[in-house]
Amino acid sequence: MVVVTSFVLQPEFFALLGIDLFLLLSLLSCLLDERFPKAIPYIYQLAAIYGFGHLLISRNFLDMFGEYTRFWYSFLYLVIALANVVAVNVYFAVLKRQNTIAKIWSVAITFPSILVAVYFVMQYSSMQNSMPSIMLQISLLISACVIGLSLIILARPEIIRKLLHKRKEVIR
Amino acid sequence: MNLRNNRFAKKSVKLLILLLSSLLIASASAAVYYSMIMQPSVTVTGATIVFASGTDFPGGSALGSNSTWVSLALKAYPNATLIYDQPLNISNTDSASHTFRLRHISITPASGTAEVANFTFFNFVVENTDGAAQASFNYTVSGTTWTTPTTTSYMTLPPNTQWIIYVETKAAAGANAVTANLQISVDVTQ
Repeated sequence: MVVVTSFVLQPEFFALLGIDLFLLLSLLSCLLDERFPKAIPYIYQLAAIYGFGHLLISRNFLDMFGEYTRFWYSFLYLVIALANVVAVNVYFAVLKRQNTIAKIWSVAITFPSILVAVYFVMQYSSMQNSMPSIMLQISLLISACVIGLSLIILARPEIIRKLLHKRKEVIR
Repeated sequence: MNLRNNRFAKKSVKLLILLLSSLLIASASAAVYYSMIMQPSVTVTGATIVFASGTDFPGGSALGSNSTWVSLALKAYPNATLIYDQPLNISNTDSASHTFRLRHISITPASGTAEVANFTFFNFVVENTDGAAQASFNYTVSGTTWTTPTTTSYMTLPPNTQWIIYVETKAAAGANAVTANLQISVDVTQ
């Protein structure tokens, strides 16, 4: 039986998506270099190179790893990339208190990144029967929560300010 | 002013380097991914439809090690019909149904030779598990000429099911001891 696997979403697609996210973060952190530590753009480049190496290894040992394993290590890489996108958003909003940039970041980067990632995970159906569905549901729930929080911060930034203010008062 | 220009130039160079590096990494990664999706994988799997010996499996017959071929040693009696109720089964070992058909490949002795006149017919009937005929595949003789069967239409064999191949043979009255070799193909769709 000859199976030609063209035009089928491979698990490594998530790693490719993660690489692109890291590269995007690298370029944006270079553009906003006054707001980030100097090493950050290079660290993100290294993370993208790591993902590229990971793709190369995956291709060369395609038969050794099952589809289940390939999916999970690619998905984990994508989750790490998304976590970095969200972390930068939180860094702007909470640590740097640069709400305008945080708003723009959440609308232009965080929200589309999470949406695209969730869309492709939903499209990737070949593992859905074998992977624990509860894990997928939790991942989607977390994604939805992150999107919701980003939108709340976007609409009412004073909530964060108030929270931080209250915390300072308690510390005093 | 000079300091600002210097800083701007430094940032531009840094951005350009990162941009080029990013383009390189992104295109190389996309190329690796593309090579993965366009790489055909060939998997050797066991046949889903196989032969299985029946209760009347004739002595001297052989079933291939992967059950993908069988050589039946059938007899034919002069002026008498010999029936093999269940010499051979066709088995679907898959959990999905598959279709198959019988197709004539070759027969010896060839038509036109005197030896052909020793035979009357060989009839092969495919029966389902209830014994209902699904297809007939008959070789008949007219003088010294074989009338070979036409290819049957595809039959659907349900999952995990065995069907029977029923055989009838007959030789002409006063026939000599001659051997006929028939080659039949079972075509299976996956």
